Formats: sequence, structure tokens, C-alpha cells
Amino acid sequence: MRTGLAVVIALLVAAAAPPALAQQGVTDSEIVLGGSNSFSGPLAFTGEQATRYGVDLYFKVVNDAGGINGRKIRTIYYDDGYKPQEAVANTKKLVEQDRVFAIIAPQGTPPVVATLGYLEEQKVPLLFPFQGSPVTRGRPWVFNGMLLYDRQAKMMIDYLVGQRKFKAVATLYQDDEYGKSFLTAFEKNLAPHGLKMVAAESVKRGVTDVSAQIAKLQAAKPEVLFLVLTPGPAAQALKERQRIGWTKVVAVSSGPLTDERYLALAGDAAEGVEGLSLWPDPVASDLAALKRYRAEMQKYFPKNEPNRYSLSGYFAAMLFTEGAKRAGRTLTRSALVTALEGVKGFDSGILPPLSIGADHETQKQGFWVRVEKGRFKQLTDWLKAE
Amino acid sequence: MRRAALVAGGAVLLAWPLLVPRYFVFLTSLIVVNAIVAIGLNLLSGYTNQLSFGHAGFFAVGAYVAAVLTVREPALPVVLTLALAGLATALVGLALGVPCLRLEGLYLAMATLAFGFVVVEAILNLDWLTRGNDGLAVPVARLGPLALASDAAKYYLVLAVGALMVAAAVNIARTRTGRALLAIRESEIAAQASGVHLAAYKTLAFAVSAFYTGVAGGLFAFVVGFISPDAFDVFLSVDFVAMIIVGGLGSIPGSILGAAVITLLYDWLAAFQNYRPLFFGLILIGCMLFMPGGIASRVPRRTPPAR
Amino acid sequence: MTTAALIHVVVSGLATGSIYALMAIALVIIYNATRTLNFAQGEMLMISTFVGWAAWEALALPLVVVLLVAVAAAALLAWAIEWAVIRRAISATHFDVLIITLGLSLVLRAAAGLVWTHDQFPFPSFFDNRPLVLGPVRVAPVSLGIIGGSLGLMLALGALFRWTRLGRAMRAVAQNQRAARLMGISVERVYSASWVLAGVVGAIAGVLIAPVVFLSSSMGLVVINGFTAAVLGGFGSMPGAVVGGMLLGVLENLAPLWLPAGIKHSVPFLLMIAILMIRPSGVLGRARQRKV
Repeated sequence: MRTGLAVVIALLVAAAAPPALAQQGVTDSEIVLGGSNSFSGPLAFTGEQATRYGVDLYFKVVNDAGGINGRKIRTIYYDDGYKPQEAVANTKKLVEQDRVFAIIAPQGTPPVVATLGYLEEQKVPLLFPFQGSPVTRGRPWVFNGMLLYDRQAKMMIDYLVGQRKFKAVATLYQDDEYGKSFLTAFEKNLAPHGLKMVAAESVKRGVTDVSAQIAKLQAAKPEVLFLVLTPGPAAQALKERQRIGWTKVVAVSSGPLTDERYLALAGDAAEGVEGLSLWPDPVASDLAALKRYRAEMQKYFPKNEPNRYSLSGYFAAMLFTEGAKRAGRTLTRSALVTALEGVKGFDSGILPPLSIGADHETQKQGFWVRVEKGRFKQLTDWLKAE
Repeated sequence: MRRAALVAGGAVLLAWPLLVPRYFVFLTSLIVVNAIVAIGLNLLSGYTNQLSFGHAGFFAVGAYVAAVLTVREPALPVVLTLALAGLATALVGLALGVPCLRLEGLYLAMATLAFGFVVVEAILNLDWLTRGNDGLAVPVARLGPLALASDAAKYYLVLAVGALMVAAAVNIARTRTGRALLAIRESEIAAQASGVHLAAYKTLAFAVSAFYTGVAGGLFAFVVGFISPDAFDVFLSVDFVAMIIVGGLGSIPGSILGAAVITLLYDWLAAFQNYRPLFFGLILIGCMLFMPGGIASRVPRRTPPAR
Repeated sequence: MTTAALIHVVVSGLATGSIYALMAIALVIIYNATRTLNFAQGEMLMISTFVGWAAWEALALPLVVVLLVAVAAAALLAWAIEWAVIRRAISATHFDVLIITLGLSLVLRAAAGLVWTHDQFPFPSFFDNRPLVLGPVRVAPVSLGIIGGSLGLMLALGALFRWTRLGRAMRAVAQNQRAARLMGISVERVYSASWVLAGVVGAIAGVLIAPVVFLSSSMGLVVINGFTAAVLGGFGSMPGAVVGGMLLGVLENLAPLWLPAGIKHSVPFLLMIAILMIRPSGVLGRARQRKV
């Protein structure tokens, strides 16, 4: 018994030692990237679009053109169904079994945050997660993807209160990290203007009726109503607003919400809605890079329609390619990080020229749009939040 | 003969982290965690015929209690934390078990199902304690001077606790309580007629089952290192039920086997991306149609079960 | 909060509540015949609505035809599931069947995602979304339409159970299977008919609600509220299911008006547990006799 205990303790001590680290995921002919993402669960659509039709679309183009410095890129994705424990398991498997070089475009705050500590300890780059909570800010191995929520909120308040002089603002937000991050940042940025949020109501994820929340918000008589929701509930809120004939309010959608899917759901109830747009219109924009994106989608995935989720994945792959090219033939993880930090004035043709730098934030700008005849019309040039 | 097999099995389990890649060590920890839940659920369902669809709720309570106790300073030793997680969950189990005495069959299934939802809502609403939907990062468990940070260290913790729980479960069947529970399984009315206090034992089964699940939840928090309400949805409860049905109701080796099968299945299916729920569902249906007694019923027993 | 706003919120809640009621009725129909919960009820609703929508997209059919397509698809799907899966498990326990329907719900949702993606889609509506103005009160035709349509369907079901041969057979099976069999009723036929009927009710509910909650692979989750509604009304009782659904819809809508943010989202579940604890036979039900 006692020897058994001694063995256990000896093994525990041995096991507590830090693991050895080896460079992996890059061979002479190949770079392996991976990610845990939602292919089932509440964010299955965005997950599939961002990875299989976004990241992979760009890499197919790159691979067909000879790859990055002669190396083809291969991607591996595992489904986590938006559950953190499965994201952890998948990420461990990717790093330890599949030996990926880096993690690309995982989705959702809880699953991504669950893997942060592990990836940091293993010194594996976490590239462009599809989430905007500031928790991923200031981490040496993380490069943020989406414009972080607090920056978005500041941009929205600066524009609406600073430039357009609105005074009474209310918020309808999703009852989670996404909604609350925005709400906190709205309140913080209203304070310097001497203003307070006149009303804030929460909506549970996947809700089917928001009439009570809208009734309460209407009673507070705001001039501006922020919608920090996902497409379904947001479209329901707009339809509910139409149903009670509440026209005297400017509904404003958050960055992640401003997309064509929710316009389609809301139909004519979306007319006049404004919002912060993070991307050019993936369907209608006549920017050369967007035309190329649509043509490539048509070529490789003719059955899949272009949308902002696949565009964001496409852009993430584009940024990786730029970083890997700059890192050169001796591609290591730290070389990639240094190379990405050195990106200056990178012109993707999709976003304005972009510099990454030490803050590891990629997307920092958005522009204002208003829905006219069922499409987003651009109202401002690219806005900044510093 | 049996003793030799046990010793050999124990030796392999102890040497496991040296034998297999790191990822499998982590996976084995998850299997053991799930096995503890399955055994706990089996104590309830296998003996007293109360099938719970709310064990993800108990699991969440255990996980959050352990996490909250570890987040605060100074953190308690891990053994104490786990015991408290188990006890707190057992209390919740009592609170649910007493009113559930009146319910049976599908009504019980629905009440426990609702319980699972209520736990998730409670976690969301106690966000000053649980950080709500953002999730909670669980600090490394400490055992005296040792920080159980590596997968292997966590594995030994899980294995030690798991062995203890299995031993306790095996021995329950030999006690007065165990015999009373078995009597209830065979016939509630007959058991009552023989002087078994039905309500007391059924409630006890609920509490013990919750204790097992709470301890497993605590271990889960340490093994994964991060918990959020999304982890504990209704399908996790279903997975637990599936484990004991696949493994065989009322069988401890079956529970362990069922936990291993379902955990490995999940891991393996992750690569199938959007086909995963499809395959998982089909396998679940297939098991129910073609193996109603579970895996345990397929293993021929040399000695007739003691009943 | 003005009275006018309150009326709107209540009407809106009744509309959602009637859908819960239809879901509860569908669950109760199957429960009464086979004593199992059909967890896949929501996914059956979702698939049939998707099929109707696909027909609408492809052929631009009028909405009434879309409804008929959805109903036909639902009937076929329910019949196939009963015949191919549930019937094979007849010797299994109710819990085995419960797990099977859970497995089915996973399979159907994943299959819908593979065919139509997990995106959300707008669905055409029989009714206008713009409000009718009655003095200070505004009510949406879409809410009234959902309530009216559901009530119509409920009356039709009531008539079916009361006056048709099939309905009487179903009631007989619900009361006592062995006696029903001895009376010459084909219990298997009743099983099959119950599934088909539940599927059809689901399809109509799906077409009614899809314009409001939108069409998506996850719209079947409404089944959870259907359970709660059925429990509130006393599982097994049709009038109870209707009352339970309406009650749930209205309470769910009123709760956010006054309750603190903390517990408003838990209302359905707390209600369900409370009812199960205090009055398991439901608000309308009578206490069941237990047989030895």
C-alpha cells in the first residue's frame, strides 16, 4: 500500500514537469492549420460558412496558385457545438495529435476563451477568432479577428451622440457576453457626454417573442434603439416594432448583426434601420476584391451564396497568408507572430489599408449604413475608434 | 485469477500516462469523470427505477461549486473542494428528490428535465458568482505543495477519486442499504411490505446519485479548466442516460464501459463536423433497437448475479 | 405601461401560446396512444415546414398549397418513423423509446442542416404584420391569425375525437389498451394514426409560426415549451394542453414586464417544476388512481 502511494506521488511529480515543445505543422510541402468550431448547435451556420466556405475558399485559391512559399495549406476542423469542454478537447487533439501549426478562426466567446490558457502554454498562435469580446486582447499568441466589441460600441456612440446629437438611447441586447460587452461599453461612452442609457432590456438566446421587451423600451421613449442581438431575435424585434407602429425611433444594429441575413428575415420591417457595418456588402459591393471573392465562391462552391461569415473567414485566411509570406521559408510560430506584428498598410481590397502592430488587433474600422429598399446603403466613410 | 487481472489492470492504469500520447491521457480523464456520473446515475435508475434527465444539472452544480471554491483566495485543497462539491450537490439532490417522490415515469423525466434547465438559468443569473454566460476559468487544483497542472497530474487525481467511487459503489450493494435498494428495484410494493422505508431509500438514492455526479462535476471543472452554462445543456443529460443504457442498467462495469463508449464516440465524431449529430443520433437509435439491455447484457456472466 | 400596450402583449402571448398548445396537443396524442414522449415532435414540425418552404421556393405555389404540402410531408414522415423505428422498439421500455425519439431529433435536425443549411429563412405568412388600429389598441393580424387558426384546428381535433370512429378508437386506447384490443380495436393502427395525426398538427403549427420565428433547423426547440404546456395542463389531457399552452404563452410574455431581469427567463421551467411538485395532474387534471 505504502509503495503504491509512493509510486503515485512519484508519477504525480514526474507529470507535473512542463512538457517539451517542438515545432510542428510545417513540412517542406505543407502547412497544417486547424480549428474547433460550431458545426452543430446555435452557431452552426456561421461556423460552417466561416471555415469551410471562407477560410478554405481562400486557401483553395492560394493552393491552386502554388501555395505559400511552395507549401500547400491543409485545414482540419472539429465540431464543438459551442460547448467549451469540447472546444478544449478538440484543440488539444489538433495540437497534440494532428500537430497543427496554428489555430485559425474558431468561433464564440466561451469556446475560444476555454482554449486560451492551453494555447498560450503551448505557444500556439490563435489566429483571428470569430468573436469580439475584449477578453482576447493583449495576449502574446492571439491575433484578434473581429472588431472588438468595446471599439464598436465607442464608434457607434461617437457617431450617433457626437456627430448626430442624439440624446436618448436605449438598448435591446442578448443576455450573454456579446450583449453585455456592448451594453457596458455603451454606458461607459455615454458618460463623457453626460448621458445615461434610458432603458435596456435583455433577450434570451433563441427567444421567440420580444413584445414585452419592446413595449417596455417604447415606454422609455428613446430616440435611438441599439439592437445587440443575433439575426433571428433582431428581425423579430423589428417586426414587433412594426406591429405596434413604433416609428419614431432609429433602430441601430451592432456590427456582428449588420448583415444581409437579418435584412432578409425582417423584410420590409427593416426599412430605415441603421447600423455599423464591418464589411463591404458581400453580395453587391463592386470593389474588385469583393468581385474576386464572389467569382471564386462561384468557381469552388457554386451552390453556396456569398455572405459576411464566409467573407470574414476568407479575410482571416488572407491575413494568415500575408503573415506566412512575410515570415518566409523558415516558418516558425514565433516568426509568424513577428511577421504579423510587422504588417503595415496591408491593402486587402476588402477593408481599408490595415496595420496590425503590437496590439494584435486586425479589424479596427467600420462604416455607417442605412437600409434603403432592402439593401444597406453606405452613409459614411470608414469610421475609427481610438 | 480475478485478483491478478485486477492488479494488472491497476498497473496499466497507473502507468497509462507513460504509455500513451498526452491527448489520450486527457481523454481517459474525461472517461473516468463520465464513468463516475454514469455510476451515480445508475445508483438512481438501476436500483430505484427513477430515470433522471437532469443529471447535467447536478454535474453543473458540482462543477461550479468546485470552480468557485478554487477561484477564491485562499483556495481549498482539492480533496476538500471535491468533497464540498459532492455534498453541495447531494443537498440539491435531496431538495429535488423529496418532491420527486410523488412522481414516476415520464413525470419524473420531465421534472428532472426542467431541473436541468433551471440550473442553467440559475448559473446565468448568479453571474456575480459564476460570470454567467462568459464562463469561468478554473484555476489549477492544488494538493498541498503540488499544482496539478499537467494532463497526467489531473489524470491521477481523477483516477484516484474514480477508484474510490467505484469501490464505494461496488460495496453499497453488499450493505443493508444496497439490499434495500435492490429490493426496491425488484418490486417497490414487495420491498415496502418487507419493511423497507421506500421514501427514505428513494430519497437517499437521489442524494447519493447527486453526490457522485457533483464530485464528477468538480473533477470535470479541473480537467477541462473552463466551464460555461453551454457545457451543461439537456443533451449532456441525454448523454449520461445514453451511457447507462448503452452500458446496461444497474451494472457498474457497464456504466464504465458505457461512459467510455460515449466519450470516445463523441471524440471520434467531432471530425465529422456537421454530420456528427446525425451519426450520433443514428448510433443512439441503433443501440436502443438492437441492444435494448445494453453492452453489459451481452457479456456472458460466469456466475449468476446475486439477487 | 398603458392598457393598450398590455393588451398587445397579452394578445402576442396568446399567439405564441396557441403554438405551444398545438405542440402540447401533438405530444399528448402520441403519449395517450403509446405512453411515450416524442422528443422529435419539434423536429418533425421543422422538417415538414421546410418541405413546404422548399416547394414554395421551387414552384412558387400559393400558400394554401404550401400548407397542404407541409401536412402531407408531415403525415408521411410521421408514418415512416412510426413504421420504421418506433414499431420495431415495441418490446422496449418507454425510456428506450424516449431515447430513440431523442436520437431522432438529433438526426432530423442534422439532416435538415445538411439539406438546407443551419441558416434562418423568412417564411410567407397568411396574415399581415402591420397593426389593426382599434381606438388606442393595436393588434397584429398575424397574432389574431395564429390564434384563430390554432383554435380552428383544436375544434376540428375535438370533433375528430368525439365523433369519428378513429377518434373513439384513440380515446379507447388511451384509457385502456387491453380493453380496447379486446373490443376489436387494432391498437397498432391507432399507434400509427396517432403519429400521423401528431405530425399533421405539428405541420400546421409550423406553417403558422414560421413567419414569426422564422424557418430554421433549430425551430423545433419549441417542443420544450410544448412539454411545459402539456405538464401545466396535466399530461394526457387535451383541454389541459390548450389551457396550459395559452397560460404559458401569456405568463412568459407578462413576466418580463414586472419580474426582475434575474428570473424572467426561468418562468416556464419554474412553473413546470412548481406544477409537478404541487399538482402533478395539472391545472385541469384529476388525480390519477394508482393501480397495484
